Amino acid sequence: MTFETWLRADRLPHIWCSGCSNGTILNCTLTAVDDLGLDPDRTVFVGGIGCSSRSVGYVATDSLHTTHGRALAFATGVKLADPTLNVLVFTGDGDLAAIGGNHFIHSCRRNIDLTVVCMNNLIYGMTGGQGSPTTPPGALSTTTPYGASEPAFDLAQLAVAAGANYVARWTSYHVRELERAIRAGIETPGLSFIEVRASCPTNYGRRNRLRDVTDQIEIFRTRSMLKAKYDRLVAAGSPVPPDAIVVGEFVRRANPVMGVPP
Amino acid sequence: MKLVIDEERCKGCNLCTMVCPYRIFRPGTRANRKGILVPELDRPERCTNCRLNRLYGRTLCGICQLTCPDQAISWVDEKPYEPVRMEVEY
Repeated sequence: MTFETWLRADRLPHIWCSGCSNGTILNCTLTAVDDLGLDPDRTVFVGGIGCSSRSVGYVATDSLHTTHGRALAFATGVKLADPTLNVLVFTGDGDLAAIGGNHFIHSCRRNIDLTVVCMNNLIYGMTGGQGSPTTPPGALSTTTPYGASEPAFDLAQLAVAAGANYVARWTSYHVRELERAIRAGIETPGLSFIEVRASCPTNYGRRNRLRDVTDQIEIFRTRSMLKAKYDRLVAAGSPVPPDAIVVGEFVRRANPVMGVPP
Repeated sequence: MKLVIDEERCKGCNLCTMVCPYRIFRPGTRANRKGILVPELDRPERCTNCRLNRLYGRTLCGICQLTCPDQAISWVDEKPYEPVRMEVEY
């Protein structure tokens, strides 16, 4: 059995653009879910609004396509109504960080037993490439035509500070590591947050000289830096490249959780 | 096992040409019915999963299938190899 059995084959091919990483992340999530042997009848996928949240429509289990930014609020309700369900949330950066930012930090604070996969493509992809809270400084978008001037959110550090039990960040190039991180996130009680840096060739890459599909993946491959190496560089006072993508497991702890069956 | 690309699902992003360790996928040159340049397979019998899946009983490597954003890459079963005895008349 592979992840193919978890997909609604009649809905494919999906609507995402050529080279969009959301399909890769969906594959990795479904492979992790399949490897753990979860029951499709006891698994719920929740998504908000956006390109990334369309992925719940392609999964053959029960899925909720909810209002913008409120995916975590809906997921909290599902989990508290029946704590025996396995609830996974697909969101994007605009959904989770911008409009649902408050729901996000409070879900982390409550440490409710969800697995959140955030497909962070640094831009609002579906509505035409507006700048989001995670758009890095200097990046061009529809609403920042002279380059973004504000500092960007670091979602993984935000989740660590807000109290999530498991936080990891990978990119869509690191498929095996991502699959392992999602599996660890599902196994960990409490809120598990996995941020995935995704490519958006249509709306982010086109405006930032990364027009080819493979350009952004090449950046993920060359500029990713493991958390251990980053910590070592910081401890030694060595210079850290400013455009490095810190990947790896940020935290794994056993704080008191909410929403697990007694 | 045999490696196949589903032409109905492929969108021609060529990510498989980048991640395959054996470089089995090559950028396509011929447009299909939808105008998409589907990658071509270069001697797909070199693929680890094609050769050893039956022996190990699990998916080996499989990076191309995980990476393909359009779920277009899969393996199909082949008929097992049967030696055929030929009688040649002189």
